Amino acid sequence: MSWAKEVEELNRRRELAKQQGGPEGVAKQHGYGRLTIRERIDTLLDEGSFQEQGKATAIPDYDDDDNFLGFVPANYVLGFGRINDRRVVVGGEDFTLKGGSPNSAGLRKSIYAEHLAVQYKIPLVRMLEGGGGSVKSSGRRGGASGGESVFGEPRFKIICDAMGEVPVVSMAGGAVAGFPAGRMAASHFSVMSAETAQILVAGPKVVERALGVDMTKDELGGAHIHAKSGVVDNVAATEADALMECRRFLSYLPNSVYTRTPRSACDDSKERMEEELLHMVPRDSRSVFNMRTVIEMIVDLDSFFEIGKHFGRSQIAGLARIDGQPVGILANNNRVYAGAMTAEAAQKYRRFVELCDTFHIPVVNFIDQPGFMIGPDAEKKGTIRYGMAAVAAAAQATMPWCAIQVHKGFGVATAAHYAPNAYVLAWPSVESGALPLEGGVAVAFHREIEAADDPVAKRTEIEERLRAARSPFPRAESFGVHELIDPRETRPALCQWIDWIQPQLDELKGPVRFTMRP
Amino acid sequence: MAKHNVESEVTGSVWKVQVEVGDAVSEGDVLLILESMKMEIPVESPTDGTVAELRVEPEEAVQEDQVVAVIES
Repeated sequence: MSWAKEVEELNRRRELAKQQGGPEGVAKQHGYGRLTIRERIDTLLDEGSFQEQGKATAIPDYDDDDNFLGFVPANYVLGFGRINDRRVVVGGEDFTLKGGSPNSAGLRKSIYAEHLAVQYKIPLVRMLEGGGGSVKSSGRRGGASGGESVFGEPRFKIICDAMGEVPVVSMAGGAVAGFPAGRMAASHFSVMSAETAQILVAGPKVVERALGVDMTKDELGGAHIHAKSGVVDNVAATEADALMECRRFLSYLPNSVYTRTPRSACDDSKERMEEELLHMVPRDSRSVFNMRTVIEMIVDLDSFFEIGKHFGRSQIAGLARIDGQPVGILANNNRVYAGAMTAEAAQKYRRFVELCDTFHIPVVNFIDQPGFMIGPDAEKKGTIRYGMAAVAAAAQATMPWCAIQVHKGFGVATAAHYAPNAYVLAWPSVESGALPLEGGVAVAFHREIEAADDPVAKRTEIEERLRAARSPFPRAESFGVHELIDPRETRPALCQWIDWIQPQLDELKGPVRFTMRP
Repeated sequence: MAKHNVESEVTGSVWKVQVEVGDAVSEGDVLLILESMKMEIPVESPTDGTVAELRVEPEEAVQEDQVVAVIES
C-alpha cells in the first residue's frame, strides 16, 4: 500500500485552491478593471519565481458521511518570490472570495506574512484589497470565541516590529478598509492605483449610518484624497505601474536592517558638472527656482525617485543614487510657501529621516529653509510640535549625512537639516540667521524705524544696508562649513563623500533606537 | 475637449495675471504670478491648450487648492 490516494487528493486540493473565487468571481474582479491576487503577484515578481506557502489552506466542506465535498480556499495568498533576483515575501487578499474579508485560514496567513519576512530577514510586499473583519464572522452562534486569549500577543505587534527590521511596502489595487487600511499606513512605502483603489477607515454604509453623510467610497478615500492626506505616498496610473513602483522603491533598500544598502555600478561620470547650476539660485530673493531640477542635475542620471510629492509640498523627499550608492534626498521646495516647514512637511520629514535611519541610508539634504510656516493657520495646526519632532529625528539620527546650504537657512526649522557629524557644504548663494532680513529688520530696528519721518523708507534702507554687507566668505574662513563650493562642483564633491563613508556603511548594521513608525 | 482646473499650491494673493481668456498656452507656461511668503510664485499651465477661464484678479486673496484658472485642451 502506498500513499498514492492521499497524494492524488492533495494534488486535487492544490488545483482547487488556484481556482480562487471560481470563474465567476475572477470575471467579476476583471469587470471592475482590477487584477486578481495571483495576477498581481505574477506582475510584481521576476518571472516564475513565486514559491507559495500554504498551498492547500482552505475551509473544507464534508457531507454527513465525512466525504469531502469541496472547499473555499483561504482568501489570502502568501509566499516567497524574487524582485531583481533578490528574495522577498509577498502576500495579499483574494478579493474574488468573500470580498477579501478574512476567512480563518486567510487571516492566519495574512498575519504570518509579517512573521515570515522578519524571520527570513527579507522585504515584505503586501498587495492589499479588502475590508477587514465582519460582524457576520464575529457574531456567528457557537463559532465566536470571544476574541483573542488574554495571553495572546497583540495582533499589531508584529506589524509594527516588522517596520524596524525589514522593508515593508504596501500596494492598494482596490478598496482597502479597516485592518488592511491599517496595514497600508504601517509601511515604509505605499502606493495606490489612481482609478481602482480607495483607502478608508470605514466605507460609505458605515459613514452614512454614523454621520448621515452620503458619499461614495471614491469621494471618501480615493487617490485625490490620500495623495494630499499623506496616507499614501504615491499614486500610480494603473495597478501594474503601482507594482513597478514597489519594485523600484526596494531597489534602493537593503534586505533588512542587518545588511547594508546595495551599491550598484554607475555609468554616470563622477566629475559631471552642470553649467546651469551656476545660475540656478536667483540673486533676487523674491524669485523662485526649481529645486527638483537641481536634484536631478546632481544625482546619478534618472535615479531620483520622489516619495509623497503631494503631501507637505514645501518639502521634497525621495531616494536616489550617487555614484551607485543609494541615498535619501531631502530638499526644500521654494515654490510652496518659500519652502517653509508646515505641519505636514514636518511629518513627512520626520518619517523620511526615520526611514533612512532605520535602514542606514545616507542622507543628502539641499537646504533652502526660510523657517517654520507662520500665521494663524500654521499656529492652529500645531506646526511647532511637528516641527520639533522633525528636528529631533535629525538630531538623533545615526547615518552619514551631508548638508548642502543652497540658499536660505533661517530659524529653528533649519536645525532639522543637520544630523550629528554632518558634512557641510555651502553655495555662494547661502543666507542664514535667526530671522530673514525682511521680517527681522522690522523686529530688531523697530524703534529706529518708528522714529523716522518715513518709516517704510527707513526700513528699506536698513534692509538694503544689511543685504549689501552679506557675504558667504566668513563661514568658510571660520570653518563654519567644511567647504564653500562652486555649485557646479556639487556632484564631484558628493561622489568623493560617498567614497569616504563606505567603511561607515559597512559597519552600520542592526536595529536603531528610533525606527520608522506609521 | 478636456477641461483642466489649475489650482493654487499656496495661500497668498494674486500679483500679476500674465494671460487672457482665449490665449493659446503650452504646458509649463506661466499663467499668473502669486505672492506668498514674500516670494513670487508662478502658476503654470498643466497642459497645452487654451485659457478658458480666469477666476481671479490682481490683488485678490487666494487659498491653497483654490481653482484660479481653467485650461481647455
